[in-house]
Amino acid sequence: MAPPVRSDEQGHATVTIVTGKAEARRRLQPGRSGTLRKIWEHRADYAYVLPAIAVMLMVIAYPIYYTIELSFFKTPPGLQLRDKTFIGFDNYTAILTSQVFWKVTWNTLIWTLGSTFISFVLGFATALALHRDFIGRGVLRAILIIPWVISAVAASYIWKWIYHSDFGIIGAVLVGLGLADRPPNFIDNVSTVLPSLIVVNIWREFPFAMIMMMAGLQTVPDQLLRAAKVDGASAWQRFWHVTFPHLRNVSVVTMLLLAVANFNSFIIPWIMTGGGPSNASHIWITHIYELAFGRQRWGVASAYSVLLFLILMTLGYFYVRALSGNERNEGSA
Amino acid sequence: MSTIAETASRGQTRRRMRVDGWRWAGRIFLVFMLLYTALPMIWMLITSIKSGFAATQFPPQWWPDEPTLASYQKLLDPQNSVGQDFLRFFWNSLFVSTVTTILSVIVAVPAAYAFSRFSFPGRNFLFFAVLLRNMFPAVIFLVPLFILMRVLGLMNTHGSLILTYLTFGLPLAIWLLKGFYDNIPVQLEQAARIDGATRFQAFIMIVMPLSTPGIIATAIYSFIGAWNEYIYAYTFLSKNDQLTLPVGIQRFFSENTTDFPGLMAASFMMSVPVVVLFLILQRYFVRALTEGAVKH
Repeated sequence: MAPPVRSDEQGHATVTIVTGKAEARRRLQPGRSGTLRKIWEHRADYAYVLPAIAVMLMVIAYPIYYTIELSFFKTPPGLQLRDKTFIGFDNYTAILTSQVFWKVTWNTLIWTLGSTFISFVLGFATALALHRDFIGRGVLRAILIIPWVISAVAASYIWKWIYHSDFGIIGAVLVGLGLADRPPNFIDNVSTVLPSLIVVNIWREFPFAMIMMMAGLQTVPDQLLRAAKVDGASAWQRFWHVTFPHLRNVSVVTMLLLAVANFNSFIIPWIMTGGGPSNASHIWITHIYELAFGRQRWGVASAYSVLLFLILMTLGYFYVRALSGNERNEGSA
Repeated sequence: MSTIAETASRGQTRRRMRVDGWRWAGRIFLVFMLLYTALPMIWMLITSIKSGFAATQFPPQWWPDEPTLASYQKLLDPQNSVGQDFLRFFWNSLFVSTVTTILSVIVAVPAAYAFSRFSFPGRNFLFFAVLLRNMFPAVIFLVPLFILMRVLGLMNTHGSLILTYLTFGLPLAIWLLKGFYDNIPVQLEQAARIDGATRFQAFIMIVMPLSTPGIIATAIYSFIGAWNEYIYAYTFLSKNDQLTLPVGIQRFFSENTTDFPGLMAASFMMSVPVVVLFLILQRYFVRALTEGAVKH
């Protein structure tokens, strides 16, 4: 997957200026291929991206390599990694045959799909409702964004207190309304814990979808909407046939970003429940963390990470495709 | 005002009813979302001004009988051990976030500019490689980085955090800024260069001032990201005097979990800097998202 390099006027200008030099160089080194020559001609351009790439390489490429290596080893606890022994794919088979793996995978699916879909729908609907100007719109928008800005740690504690089994406000309201005899225990209950955490996650995430979709809504041409109105299209028809098709790219990007963020979330389940009770709220990330830093099973945790990596690469492929869709549109516009 | 004009221009009552239906649905929905968003935060504030005893009543006191700022006083009192810890955590967070923000801008600005302007081989590949970083969870990098930081001797230092935060903030920063540079006409720079400026001078004198809103947005994003980060700080730091707020608060209250007013007050104060920053500068941020991410 090597997207063709687009050359713009800038590039051309540079090339013409240095033609003489490049010509001389080519005569000196006849074996050089076109790509290498191009890289050489643009050598100064790399200086701009070098700092970014250097930091990335050190903190990203090396860890990825190391994780893959570690996933094939049996590791002693305490990170005495000189004593590791090669065991081939044993870590992987151990994971795929364990009960917990399927439980955690199921939780992760519910968590990711539930959070992503509901956050997106709520965020989109809020963006639509906020699209028309009214008094106090700016204030309302600012208030709605706050949960996204505050720390997930703070959010977890706030909601932990709200869900508290003895003094929680939701329980008190339910009892007050006569809907329950005593305050229900939301997060110590195997069947309610995951939905309860998803509510917290959505609380924190729908503002992101809202901002993205508000930005997207501004790009919908007003003339089209007015033309549709003149032609007698109802509000719903205008939304479905004009607004929505215009927002397809933004929607895809937003949902992918949400899905990735949810798939990778850690703080809310970790602080609110630590994965319990009996793994009911463990998702992949919290499980991996516990395997690595709780039980010190570095090899197994690394194998989990590699599997996670493969899944994310697949998602990443679609992410890049959606983004290059944007780029293409820009190019043709 | 526009409503009146539109209503007047529209003759048919039936259609007005239908449009009003959607508008009312929107209003009701907004009220619902406002309650969903605001009530938890209001409850946090109300709890934070209760005494420990008042917080653990059933049924709860909807408004405290004796509101008190004791929790805040305790957290901000440098004489008190709790206050000392809290203020140190606060300072640590501020330091780490500020340094991360400055470094992110220094690294992201030239990279974004290059991705926007130059067409060197591998440009698209590198750009998407940078973006792909966003895809991967902290946990994948945690074990190797843990080892790397030990090798570099950065365990239990703020350097370890700054280095890692830099990489997780960079992709979006570069992406946002690239959108800004894409929208600045190349002709402006070309004119400057015809007038004798070098490429670097043209960049500093023409492009930088025009992209200030983008840089501000990038800085906010980096700051908020670093301020709220938890998992690396939780893993890399173990000494009490190094902790940042998100981790510190947890250590701090796991000892006496019943102090919910204190916990809520701490959560509130932890949120204040980022919320204030965001509210002041939000229009830059929203605009950056519009220009960088959406408007293509």
